[in-house]
Amino acid sequence: MPLDYPIHRRTLPNGLRVVVSPDHTVPNVTVNLWVGVGSRHESPGRTGFAHLFEHLMFQGSKNVPSGEHFEALMAQGARLNATTWFDRTNYFETVPKGAVELALWLEADRHGHLLDAVTQENLDNQRDVVKEEKRQRYDNQPYGNALIDLYAATFPQGHPYHHPTIGSMEDLDAASLADVHAFFRAHYGPDNTVLTLCGDITPEHGFELVERHFGPLPASAEPRRENHPQLEPLAQPVRVERRESVPNDRLHIAFRLPVDETDEFLAAAVALDAIGGLSTSRLVRRLVRRDQIALGAHATAWGFVDGASLGFVVLDVAPGQDPDAVEAAFVEELTAFLAGGPTAVELEASLAQSERSWLSALASQEERADAISHHLLLHDDPEVVNTHLDRLQDVTAEQVLAAARRWLQPQSRAVVAYLSAPADDEAVGDVAEDSAGDSDAGANVEEVA
Amino acid sequence: MSTARPQVTPPQPWAFPVPTEHVLGNGVRVLLHDLPGQYVLSLRVVVPLAVSAEPAGQEGIASMTARLLDEGTASLGSDEFAELMERHGMVLGAGVSDGGLLVDVDVSQRHLATAAGLLTQALAAPAFPEDEVRRILRNRLAEIEQERASSAHRASKEFARTLWDPADRASRPTGGTPESIGALTRDDLVEFHATHVGPDGATVVVAGDLTDVDVLAVLEATLGTWSAPRHTPSARPVPPLPAADAARVVVVDRPGSVQTEIVVGRPGPDRSTPHGWAPHPVLSFVLGGSPSARIDAVLREEKGYTYGIRSTFRPRVAGGTFVTSGSVRSEVTGESVEILLGILDGARDGFTDAELRTGVDYVAMTAPGRYATADAVADESATLALEGLPGDFTTRNLLAVNALTLADLDAAYGRVVTGEWTVVLVGDAAQVVPQLDGRVPGSVSTVAL
Repeated sequence: MPLDYPIHRRTLPNGLRVVVSPDHTVPNVTVNLWVGVGSRHESPGRTGFAHLFEHLMFQGSKNVPSGEHFEALMAQGARLNATTWFDRTNYFETVPKGAVELALWLEADRHGHLLDAVTQENLDNQRDVVKEEKRQRYDNQPYGNALIDLYAATFPQGHPYHHPTIGSMEDLDAASLADVHAFFRAHYGPDNTVLTLCGDITPEHGFELVERHFGPLPASAEPRRENHPQLEPLAQPVRVERRESVPNDRLHIAFRLPVDETDEFLAAAVALDAIGGLSTSRLVRRLVRRDQIALGAHATAWGFVDGASLGFVVLDVAPGQDPDAVEAAFVEELTAFLAGGPTAVELEASLAQSERSWLSALASQEERADAISHHLLLHDDPEVVNTHLDRLQDVTAEQVLAAARRWLQPQSRAVVAYLSAPADDEAVGDVAEDSAGDSDAGANVEEVA
Repeated sequence: MSTARPQVTPPQPWAFPVPTEHVLGNGVRVLLHDLPGQYVLSLRVVVPLAVSAEPAGQEGIASMTARLLDEGTASLGSDEFAELMERHGMVLGAGVSDGGLLVDVDVSQRHLATAAGLLTQALAAPAFPEDEVRRILRNRLAEIEQERASSAHRASKEFARTLWDPADRASRPTGGTPESIGALTRDDLVEFHATHVGPDGATVVVAGDLTDVDVLAVLEATLGTWSAPRHTPSARPVPPLPAADAARVVVVDRPGSVQTEIVVGRPGPDRSTPHGWAPHPVLSFVLGGSPSARIDAVLREEKGYTYGIRSTFRPRVAGGTFVTSGSVRSEVTGESVEILLGILDGARDGFTDAELRTGVDYVAMTAPGRYATADAVADESATLALEGLPGDFTTRNLLAVNALTLADLDAAYGRVVTGEWTVVLVGDAAQVVPQLDGRVPGSVSTVAL
């Protein structure tokens, strides 16, 4: 269906890219900023720093005492948070429209003048909070290491997506106040930031308010490096086994994919839908419903910009079943798909489900603002919110088959197997740096709260 | 340079969208919310059904009935049904609470008629194919093991078991136990569905952009044909009975845990309480609703022991709980529990004017955003229907929130909090139990995972 969410765009002289997208159905405005820094920009020995830094953005700035960002906005009926992911960091609040200028003032103060207020005490406290976040979401969860193992198995040492956003305990311990200052100076500034206002506001008023509060900030971020060149598929399978006290065996099977917003990435995502993403996918029909050797089968494609994206399948092995047999059946189904490509029904189903989930995401001002900032920052094209479904509709069976044959070959898979059987070895495989027992996994971005 | 902190203009009064109300030929009540711009429609069907009406030894049969509704019907096989849903971009979920069966469907506007037709088949004519029954029950058994491995799930289960009287249904998991699930047969499910699921007393909610859609005609032709001759609506549920020895500490031993999951709670009210629901969300916010709330101000922002602890009043259709939960690192479990109980008990001495103001403003002013999407509106409307509350409850409750005084807040807290707590700790008992000495009231017992 044709979408026409309004997109009014302007770039300030200091480089800040701004979109105002009016929507008067709810008397709120979402303020959403994306900063072009994520865990992909972290240096060795400082993993997890982009996320730790994001926490410090709530601990006070030049004119805002520690903790007041949350307090002042919540007292005005704001819902707010911030998240860090491989490619970027975002900060956002949805406020009653009468509080939008307060939100912009608070954002400009911390995005422009954070270092006036950062203290060792706040760094130490938020380091502890982040370590508890890591323990809660990764270390104390069954299969907690799985996705972190998967990143390390799929992407080579030194690649932007080799290490997780949450980082390691050692690196968090090593973070210093000097790192905070250097990170802010390198990455934060209007020239590496985009800002979206979505909601009950006119473009004129929105641009005026943004200019009033962000206009005075100087361009200050260091120039961005070029994105990495596209990574080729793995030449041969990689396998990592973990033996832990997990309730059932679970296989995570990953593939390198083309970068986001390319026709080839969209086609590969449709292929993954047909293979394992739909509730009628080939893996669900075969492994879950027919053979009943798996409890569940899921597939996901995560689009990234820095030289690769990530596609992966998760197979929960049914109790008493052989994980090798499950993997062999997976390879069989994959091979059959690579021979024949998607059926018309698979294409129809993938498109229909993508349409519903895209429209559901855009249904709220918060998520719409986030989608606009996303495509503005990483692809310089906020109109994607309106054009994405048309592009999906144009994906052909031939494109899906071609993308699958290039990116989803069985020999290009990285497998991380979590096996419940006890064993003497802690781990076998080639992911040496993750065997310290402090790594972890998560399917989600790191949030401040 | 920076400008002065901007003033905030207070928001205009706001009201929860009022649905139009209709009745289908078979007596099913219909609530329609026309929400322009919400392109994905949210359908909800609620059927009053007291989980306490499950036959003895068949705990979980209501949940399993819900899960099997879309696993094959009189005219469609399980695969065929799933394929039709996928091709129309439809998602269907079904589950039970203490007072009812809830089925929810999200679908784009143009596929409403197909979705309503499939939903009707699922409710009126599920076939419970033997093969699917065995698969779903086996998957539930595996899921119980997965829940056991998760600290948060395990804590919730032990909390219910400790808080409620052992004879009360609420003391056992809604989804059943390995024994009760293992004993279920296809005949049990067929019988339970025939006698407990029907249109008598049911309500259907449709929310979304209804422009140019004849929703009533679609519903009359689908859900309007639903009949269930042997169905008798179950009696309205009653609040669960607390256990005589609920005030104690139970440690669930989870060796090797790096954090301890803490749940502290009491029985609480439902939203029909004659004292008024309004103070309870405000109390939740002030105690455990943000990083600057009473609990996280100490345990997170001062001590750095946790990523975050949340307090919530959780209403059931009948009765409810007041629960504070979160995780802290193992080494500081004893100190954290002592601090937590001190804060919760200390709040009986009263709240402050500032807390009243921010809590009221947060709860009242976030409402337009919390109910801004079709699915949020549909969820609230369906929940009200199940609770037997009128459609203007949400709006009237917000007015009552705005009118709250300190005395109201203190009185509501005093009605729930007596100084006696059910405390459940899931963690490494060898490490945790010695820390509790002299820090917690009442007996401490340890149970296996």
